[in-house]
Amino acid sequence: MKYCIILLISLSSLISCQIKNSNEVNIYSQRHYEVDKIQYKNFEKLTGIKVNVIKAGADELLERLINEGKNSPADLFVTVDAGKLQKGVGVGVFQKIDNNIINSNVSNDLKDLNGYWIPITYRARLLVYSNDRVSKSDLSTYEDLANPKWRNRLLVRSSSNAYNQALMSSLYANLGKKAAIDWSTNVVANFARDPKGNDRDQVKAIAAGQGDIAIVNSYYIGLLLSSEKQSEVDAGKAVSIFFPNQGNNERGTHINISGFAMTKNAPNKENAIKLLEYLTGIEAQSTYVNNGYEYPANPNVLPSKIVQSWGGFKRDTLDLNALGFFRNEAIKVFDQTGWK
Amino acid sequence: MVNSFFLDTNSLNYLIDNLLFDYSVNTLYLVLITSFFSLLLGIVPAWFISNYKFKFRRVIDLILYLPLAIPTYIMAFTYSELLSFTGPFKIKYDFLQIEVLGIILSFSLYPYIYSVSRISFSLFGSRYLEIAKNLGLNGFQTLFKIVLPLSRPAIFSGLFLVIMEVLNEYGAVKYFGVNTFTIGIFRSWNSMNDTGAAIQLSSILLFIVAFLFFIEKYFHQFKRFSFSKNSKINTLNFPRKRNLFMIYIVCLVPIILAFLIPIIFNIINVFSIFESVDLDRLFSLTFNSLSVSLTASSIILILSTYFLYNEKISKSRIYFYINQFISLGYSIPGAVVALAVIIYLTKIDEYFYSVNLIGSFIIYFIILIYAYIIRFLAVGKSPIKSSLEKQPESYDDSAKNLGLSNFKIFQKIYFPINKYSFFTALILVFIDIMKELPIILILRPFNFDTLATQTYEFAVEEMIPLSSIYSFMIIFICSILLIFLKNFLEKSDVFRS
Repeated sequence: MKYCIILLISLSSLISCQIKNSNEVNIYSQRHYEVDKIQYKNFEKLTGIKVNVIKAGADELLERLINEGKNSPADLFVTVDAGKLQKGVGVGVFQKIDNNIINSNVSNDLKDLNGYWIPITYRARLLVYSNDRVSKSDLSTYEDLANPKWRNRLLVRSSSNAYNQALMSSLYANLGKKAAIDWSTNVVANFARDPKGNDRDQVKAIAAGQGDIAIVNSYYIGLLLSSEKQSEVDAGKAVSIFFPNQGNNERGTHINISGFAMTKNAPNKENAIKLLEYLTGIEAQSTYVNNGYEYPANPNVLPSKIVQSWGGFKRDTLDLNALGFFRNEAIKVFDQTGWK
Repeated sequence: MVNSFFLDTNSLNYLIDNLLFDYSVNTLYLVLITSFFSLLLGIVPAWFISNYKFKFRRVIDLILYLPLAIPTYIMAFTYSELLSFTGPFKIKYDFLQIEVLGIILSFSLYPYIYSVSRISFSLFGSRYLEIAKNLGLNGFQTLFKIVLPLSRPAIFSGLFLVIMEVLNEYGAVKYFGVNTFTIGIFRSWNSMNDTGAAIQLSSILLFIVAFLFFIEKYFHQFKRFSFSKNSKINTLNFPRKRNLFMIYIVCLVPIILAFLIPIIFNIINVFSIFESVDLDRLFSLTFNSLSVSLTASSIILILSTYFLYNEKISKSRIYFYINQFISLGYSIPGAVVALAVIIYLTKIDEYFYSVNLIGSFIIYFIILIYAYIIRFLAVGKSPIKSSLEKQPESYDDSAKNLGLSNFKIFQKIYFPINKYSFFTALILVFIDIMKELPIILILRPFNFDTLATQTYEFAVEEMIPLSSIYSFMIIFICSILLIFLKNFLEKSDVFRS
């Protein structure tokens, strides 16, 4: 062990000079999509600022940030769940971002009220239903999924998944503890099978006749419909999309964002701001929607054709930080009600 | 760690009330299924290969090892695609079952049993088998009444590795919705920010593994007295016609299911995207994978040799305990090891205020290697340990009488005798690291991708065809090494039949 430490120190003194390099920006990224590579390449071409990325799970990267403390090389952290951004704010690893261009680029209801993180895209967690076995008029709200008419018909993935945890957090925030527990109890009773697989597997299970209705992210329906495998396109076409809670007095469909936060001691702060200005701008936002099936955070950009074909919808305007505030409670609800 | 284990009873109570029972039952059940099929797929073919002569025997023997080259996550992705409703067979049955997962995991893991069984079975020589024949036992009776009881320690050491791999499995169990301890550790830690609960679960896991260690030791004690190696080489029998058919079936089932199907699936995918493959990137990722694996496995080889040799030569209990302790790292989930290493690094960084360790490429490369050492030392030690144990102590006593230093004894005596086991250790660790995932994801430096990380990134977004060229490269390199290893060992004394 002693030798290990000595080795580390001697090596670090050799290389301590190489750490600072002003013309770069360092990102810890949960997102690992091809479109992100395209964005960073375009940004490099435009500004000459090199974008360095480490990709891993959101929690692991946050843990790395926390433990690296003030010496962390990361400037930005990007994740696909507002709850994780709130978690980072909670443990004090981020700093506020106050920039007029970025502020004017993104929709107001997607923004962080406290100014710590910047949304770049969002997704809806919506319902898909079998074209053969369910009529659209049977569907209404998330709350209605607890109705016994869905007994043995409902499909959803495990409660270990962050998207489900975010959905439960939103229900907890909107309806309160008791309603959340009742809802979850009844929803579990309606499961067609134990929760498993990913979002696309729920759609495939509907196509295979294992269930009639599923809770999934909009993004994955786009992926199925654009798949090169005809069988996957067919599975995607066997279902239709429904945005729940769209009635006049209803709160809207639950959404979650992909968003950036700036680390507390970002060594390349200016470059990080430049990147965020770029990513929220019209050009990059168009790149996001044209290379994936996310909704743009910039209201002046339209989603991709497939996504547009699903029609517009009313978003739940709940403060997205609630998806983090109520996370622990949400998981306890899952555990108590047997949602595996 | 100790603090949170004893003080924070809240999260422990919560775990016991809600999850612990479920997690225990699932973990146990999955371990049982995987173990059963790994034993079945490992022992029976090993028995036939070790005792009978038939066409293609050598090739079949070789291929039976190769599923070790296929990471469990690739095996799981492959079968998920094949068995899904959108796969080639349009299967309507819900294949995401714990039993299916257990069988799929056994496809990747049975070579651990096969390899130890092969060595053990071929070591018997002919004496036991002749006695069995004289007693009128048929082939199966000989296997169950004589060979298996005598091979129990060896098979158990293989089974031990299988169980460890199952306990550590994360990606596939999560996908199949099976809540094991490892899922619980991550759920407590990541989703609920409850380090206490995560550590308690890790401790339970460690305790189970320590218990298994103990059992393995217990069985191992008998090994020295259990059977004497027979110098007379066992001659292979020609099987009867009707047996021959069964032998081929038994040997071909694991080959087809655990190797050919995943390989063919992979190659078809590679061809479907071949035009869009970025060869420069493929080569640079291959280079990264090779450099990490080679560096870490070489250091692990040196360290395991150092500790084991010292245990042997000094006969000191301290080295014995050190060796037991450092093996436990294998039971800790990779992500936990990775984060523990970062915490450790931060402490050093704080202590030496003036230097800034965090953030540089080389430092992260070093701690990556360091994490691998913690995690995989046990894998490297295993073959060296069993090889060193075979040498009588009289070797070093006489060498010491000749006035040789410990290092000289190693250089002149132990290295030449044990070189096969060193080589085996190097290659096994190399392959494990080549396939490894959570640690490299968390600890890698900026812009540092490997074949495993790239496979994972595509596969997790369900873009299996795009991941295929990178997973193919992993399987290809690991297979070459295994074939090389097998040929190398055949020249040695390891396989007598």
